[in-house]
Amino acid sequence: MDRRKRLIAIIMLVAICPLLASCYDAREVDDLGFVIAMGLDRGKTNTLRMTLQIAKPMAGADGGSVGDDLSYEQFSVEAPAVFSGLNMINTFASKQISLTHLKVVVFSSELAREGLKPYLNAMLRGKEFRPNMPIVVARHTAEEYLKSVDPKLVTNAAKYYELVFQSYKYTGLIPKVEFHDFYLASKSPCRNPVAILGDASKFKSVEEFDIKNSTYMDHHRSMPFEGDLFAGDIPALGGARAENVGLAVFDGDKMVGELDGTNTTMYLLCTGDYIHSYWTFPDPLAEGRYVLMNVKQSRKPKHRVEFVDGKPRIDIMLNLEGDLVAVQSDIDYETGDNSLVLESAAEDYIKDHVQKFLDKTINEFQSDICGFGAYARAHFMTWAEWEAYNWHTKYKDATFNLTVNFKVRRPGLILRSGTSEAMESRRDDQ
Amino acid sequence: MIKSLLLFHEPQVKKPFILTEDSGNVNSGNTNTGEDSAKTGENKEPSRRKKNENLLLKKVEKIKLTDREKKNQKDGKSDISRQLSENLKTIEERFSASLNGDLIIRQFDITVKDSTIAAFLVFFDGLVNTKVIDDDILQPLMLLSNLDIKGDRDDILKYIRSHILPHNQLKEVHTHQELIDEVYFGGCGLYIDGLESAFAADVKDFPGRSVERPNNELVIRGPQEGFTENLRANTGLIRKRLMDQNLIAENIIIGNRSKTPCSIMYIKDVANESLVNEVRRRLKNIDVDYIMDTGELEQFIEDNPALPAPQMLATERPDRVCTMLAEGRVAIIMHGSPFALVVPITSNDIMYSAEDQFLRFPYSNLLRFIRILAILMSLLLPGIYLAITNYHHEMIPTDLLLAIMSAREKVPFPSVVEVFLMEISFELIREAGIRIPGPIGPTLGIIGALILGQAAVEANIVSPILIIVVAVTGLGSFAIPNFSAGFAFRILRFAFIMLAALSGFLGITVGLILIGLWMVSAKSFGVPYFAPIAPRTAGGFTDAIFKSPAWKQEKRPDYVNAKKQKMQPKISRKWALANENSQSGDDDKGDQNG
Repeated sequence: MDRRKRLIAIIMLVAICPLLASCYDAREVDDLGFVIAMGLDRGKTNTLRMTLQIAKPMAGADGGSVGDDLSYEQFSVEAPAVFSGLNMINTFASKQISLTHLKVVVFSSELAREGLKPYLNAMLRGKEFRPNMPIVVARHTAEEYLKSVDPKLVTNAAKYYELVFQSYKYTGLIPKVEFHDFYLASKSPCRNPVAILGDASKFKSVEEFDIKNSTYMDHHRSMPFEGDLFAGDIPALGGARAENVGLAVFDGDKMVGELDGTNTTMYLLCTGDYIHSYWTFPDPLAEGRYVLMNVKQSRKPKHRVEFVDGKPRIDIMLNLEGDLVAVQSDIDYETGDNSLVLESAAEDYIKDHVQKFLDKTINEFQSDICGFGAYARAHFMTWAEWEAYNWHTKYKDATFNLTVNFKVRRPGLILRSGTSEAMESRRDDQ
Repeated sequence: MIKSLLLFHEPQVKKPFILTEDSGNVNSGNTNTGEDSAKTGENKEPSRRKKNENLLLKKVEKIKLTDREKKNQKDGKSDISRQLSENLKTIEERFSASLNGDLIIRQFDITVKDSTIAAFLVFFDGLVNTKVIDDDILQPLMLLSNLDIKGDRDDILKYIRSHILPHNQLKEVHTHQELIDEVYFGGCGLYIDGLESAFAADVKDFPGRSVERPNNELVIRGPQEGFTENLRANTGLIRKRLMDQNLIAENIIIGNRSKTPCSIMYIKDVANESLVNEVRRRLKNIDVDYIMDTGELEQFIEDNPALPAPQMLATERPDRVCTMLAEGRVAIIMHGSPFALVVPITSNDIMYSAEDQFLRFPYSNLLRFIRILAILMSLLLPGIYLAITNYHHEMIPTDLLLAIMSAREKVPFPSVVEVFLMEISFELIREAGIRIPGPIGPTLGIIGALILGQAAVEANIVSPILIIVVAVTGLGSFAIPNFSAGFAFRILRFAFIMLAALSGFLGITVGLILIGLWMVSAKSFGVPYFAPIAPRTAGGFTDAIFKSPAWKQEKRPDYVNAKKQKMQPKISRKWALANENSQSGDDDKGDQNG
């Protein structure tokens, strides 16, 4: 009897299972349309113009040619809010829209300057939005930006988005932005968020190339370095026409300005998100020549905030190391005093750039995007005191005390730039 | 039934057998008083069953045997008549001689000096070696017996036994039944006129396989012998390996009519006595007419008949049985079955292959890791595929999602139907593969590969990605070394497919919890089924999931509660210490301690 009871109990449990669930949530993969990118612009007839890129099922599974077909279908709709837009798209898109594979959200800078609060909230509450998707601010319209995404190196756009926003790890030209973090920063009393700056390339042929929007003058250079540009202004052709360089500075949920690629690198250095990238240093011993180094962060930066006369003084110590990749002048920087010369020159160069970047955040934007507030917080006993202090208004008075430690570690495959004798003896050996 | 559910019934407390630590040390009589009448009857007056057992007693117990013989003689409870004709009549009647075509009754005369004595032989043609009967029984009795017999006629018995019959296994029996049982097990009965007892000579020569490679438990490294259908050959294979003087092979007869001889094997000073008693008790208390194979026997003596997983190990490898006997377990061997049963086992044992023990430990650990993976895949993979594609789309990389999407695009069925279709056709192929006659075998491969691999995909009945899932699942289920366990996972897999289809990972989780509860509460001969893991036992991990080197397996599994825990001392590689150089000795010690 006991066993039979147990059996009945189990059968009942199993029988209840379908009643409770009954495949309620089940959706076949091929019944859903997976949105891989979402763009939000100011609408013509309504508050929002929402642009969705919906992935097409991958061709090639049965050997079909990919051809020139795009791997996505783009839909645009004007709607009062994000979810009402989804509803509207569902009326004409044959598949039910799913946001579970959304890779990026793009805001137009117009929208961003007005404030993103209404949209961020919807995205945070919606359970389908991934917390780790990047946020992009398009300098013109999001629709145009998304339309210009036509990846050439990967077969589907989803992969393109996955990879392209990871490039901060090896270029340092875009910031590291995740939606969840963006939202937290937008509400934080200690810091302000940033977003990736993106735009469609404005050049259609080589003849149109110009550098009039470059910031190389601001950096006191005779020609633009790789980072002295904003998205959309890169003199380049080929690949996807969408470009991501620089960052959008926010104050709370409102965008207040843009920073170019070089300043973005400095931003990454200050936050510690920097990993490595190639840098062009002016050669300290040969005018007009450059030394290229692969600069890595050897240790996370050290921060410290002191209050001097009621004003914050922010100490930052950067620990970097570089590997020589090209010495245009062929000067022996591997050994002896020359390496020290190079190191101190590089330190000064970096320090100068970081200082200018920090000054810019104070003078132009008054926005603590690096999150120094988190270190200032330590001086307050209670949260109420800290909130009352209102860091965001005090940040503009901050002064900086920068220390940069830079070491040249590896000379690449040339262990010693050859003297003539050394070269000869080497030839004799052979 | 509803009434019985709603009303309260005081539960009957039935104490199940639990193998406890102290039960091995206490005299067995105390631990199971009232349950076990058989144990106490070991050396007392012979019941019918006891006698049957005696038929097969081994040399180890020879001393006992002769004791018993003396006792028998004293008791004089013989139903064999001095009149040969009477005996002949009884035998003809008992054997249904008029109906049985293969029964041979050979009447002849033994010539002694001054007279002839009538006698007859009875045996079954086909069970005996006729040459042995001719040469070692008939010939001496008929031709060579023409000798002087001194003393009284009763001494003939002793004389024949000690002087005339050169056969090696000759037994004196005092009842017809005893002789009949012997004859049925390949013996040859000899009745001599004027004697109150008869002889039973063991001349069995069953038709059967010789020792061959095991068919199902193949190994690359290790012995290549498997059990056969012959009981004595099987016990012999074990004794051949385990020359332990404490190795016992107890005889027991199962089946009221089939009278199938079985052997309980254990090592006397290692195996827990209460465990041996429990095995003996269960075997003796099977009331069944016929029993043919250990597969049947298993169902009669297992603890939890409904549990999907096997609770005893059926193996056709003598070396595997030996290893387990050495750990303090008990083996049951049955005449007519090439599979020995070993008890108790735990969930880990069904994961092991015989090879594990012969390979160096990194190799066998790799194999074990793969087997765990195989078990998980064969159990869960289709379920997880369903759960992910139906409920948890966010879990798959986008690329894979798009691939699945395009693969499923043209398939008209929901993925549950797809999975069931493929799983069922896979099971079909598997079943057909076993039943198919040998020469047509290869055709099946072609059909299977065509149907499953290509045609189904091209006809858009299933998606190619599902073929991979089902194929990997199938591979996984073949990688499970234990045949019965493979079945368990196959059945449960369908349950998991259903659960996953109904409620995704929630369903799978519920399923895992239920099965976990079921398994953890199960016992195999009083040992918790998940033993070294839950409940955790001391030092249970030297050979639990992953294996330590052979020299580190110092203790027998704790849950077996063997009489001797230690199998080898802490330092078993003594040669490493023998070196005078203390440096190396210390190193070794540190190594073993670590």
